[in-house]
Amino acid sequence: MFFKKSIIALTGLFLCVFLVVHLSANCILLLPEDIARDAYNSYSTTLRESSFIKIIAYILYVSIIVHALYALLITLKNRKAKPQKYVLNHSKENSAWASKNMGILGTLILIFIIIHLANFWARIKLGLGEEVGMDAFGHKDVYEVTYSLFQNIYFVLFYTLISIPLALHLHHGLKSAFKTLGFYHKKGLQIIAKIALIYAVIMGVGFGIIPIIVYLK
Amino acid sequence: MKITFKIWRQNSPKHKGAIKNYEVEGLTEDMSFLEALDHLNELLVLKNEKVIAFEYDCREGICGQCGVFINGRAHGPHDNITTCQLHMRSFNDGDTIVVEPWRATSFPIIKDLVVDRSAFDRIIEQGAYISSKTGTAPEANAIPVPKAISDRAMDAAACIGCGACVATCKNASAALFTSAKINHLNSLPQGKAEEHKRVAEMTYQMEAEGFGNCTFTGACEVECPESISIINIAEMNARRIKSNLLGS
Repeated sequence: MFFKKSIIALTGLFLCVFLVVHLSANCILLLPEDIARDAYNSYSTTLRESSFIKIIAYILYVSIIVHALYALLITLKNRKAKPQKYVLNHSKENSAWASKNMGILGTLILIFIIIHLANFWARIKLGLGEEVGMDAFGHKDVYEVTYSLFQNIYFVLFYTLISIPLALHLHHGLKSAFKTLGFYHKKGLQIIAKIALIYAVIMGVGFGIIPIIVYLK
Repeated sequence: MKITFKIWRQNSPKHKGAIKNYEVEGLTEDMSFLEALDHLNELLVLKNEKVIAFEYDCREGICGQCGVFINGRAHGPHDNITTCQLHMRSFNDGDTIVVEPWRATSFPIIKDLVVDRSAFDRIIEQGAYISSKTGTAPEANAIPVPKAISDRAMDAAACIGCGACVATCKNASAALFTSAKINHLNSLPQGKAEEHKRVAEMTYQMEAEGFGNCTFTGACEVECPESISIINIAEMNARRIKSNLLGS
């Protein structure tokens, strides 16, 4: 089980790094439309054509699946260790809500990832659903896919609201991953806790606000 | 003061348990919580009813025998104390107090509020000891130990094995207990000889006993009467990785 926990921590940290790159790229969407379209499309074309990114993408898919699967197995084991709940339990007095509900938060994020992949990955990479057009430079118009999706207020709301469980999950996950992997320097852990908070806020606000800005563009 | 106790009653491991209500008068604020339970038991004896089974020994917070879930918290409403250190002045006249046994698969209920914590003993048996020559005690200062290390070992050694960490953990993880025992001995020169074996065998036993995994909610260190830091678990994890790579 310790091996599984370590793998959850390692894949989690990898996903944390991935999110930084993802959010940075999303910031292109904040530029004026004529610049943003070109920059976003050529960026995504570069990614699709890079064999290095191809390897990273496979590591990413495996990370998400393994992270979720091992977390599920560990949660089942943990439930077996405490099948009978207390009649009265004031656990909020000794621990944060998010730390006790990583499974629920993770499940919400997983549902989001599936919908998100259906919206983008399936259309752009697999060619499923409505065909993706080309821009003036002959690149797949990924900007248009994004822009048109965020003209739908329900998708904007969904993407924005899901950033809350994302931030909560990242905050606890980042803090815990280092402890799981055996980092036990007291001051270092205090610094990591602060970094985790700042990181979670930036990710939550960043991913949450961009769909709104695109909607209002 | 008058208190309504709602107490878990269970005849044996095989019987089904349930909460039973007791209205108790004549309690004073100076009473310890365990004295209040004693008082209730005296009343039950007078009424020819079965007394409530609960564990205790020293009643001064050092033995680790007492331990029940009181009003939704391990060892009651305060952080970092044992059940015997809780006094009735922490409650108000007319309050209702819910008392339950520790709940974990690895701590089966024996009777009422008494649970079987021998899983802890079996973890201890796997390596929470050192091998040393018997005979004349060696000179105390023969092995120099830096103050910072002896302090850390002492902090971990403070664990009294009460089980509050397991009781409060949503996963019933015994990581805080096991890490305290491992770090206590592994950080001292006397414990070095069996360092890797200790880590491997104690953590193996911890998992074999059916305790859950630590997910760092932090509840354990809040309820631990000895304020054992959760950083001990991170340190144990480092030792597990090290012993997996280097150990026999």
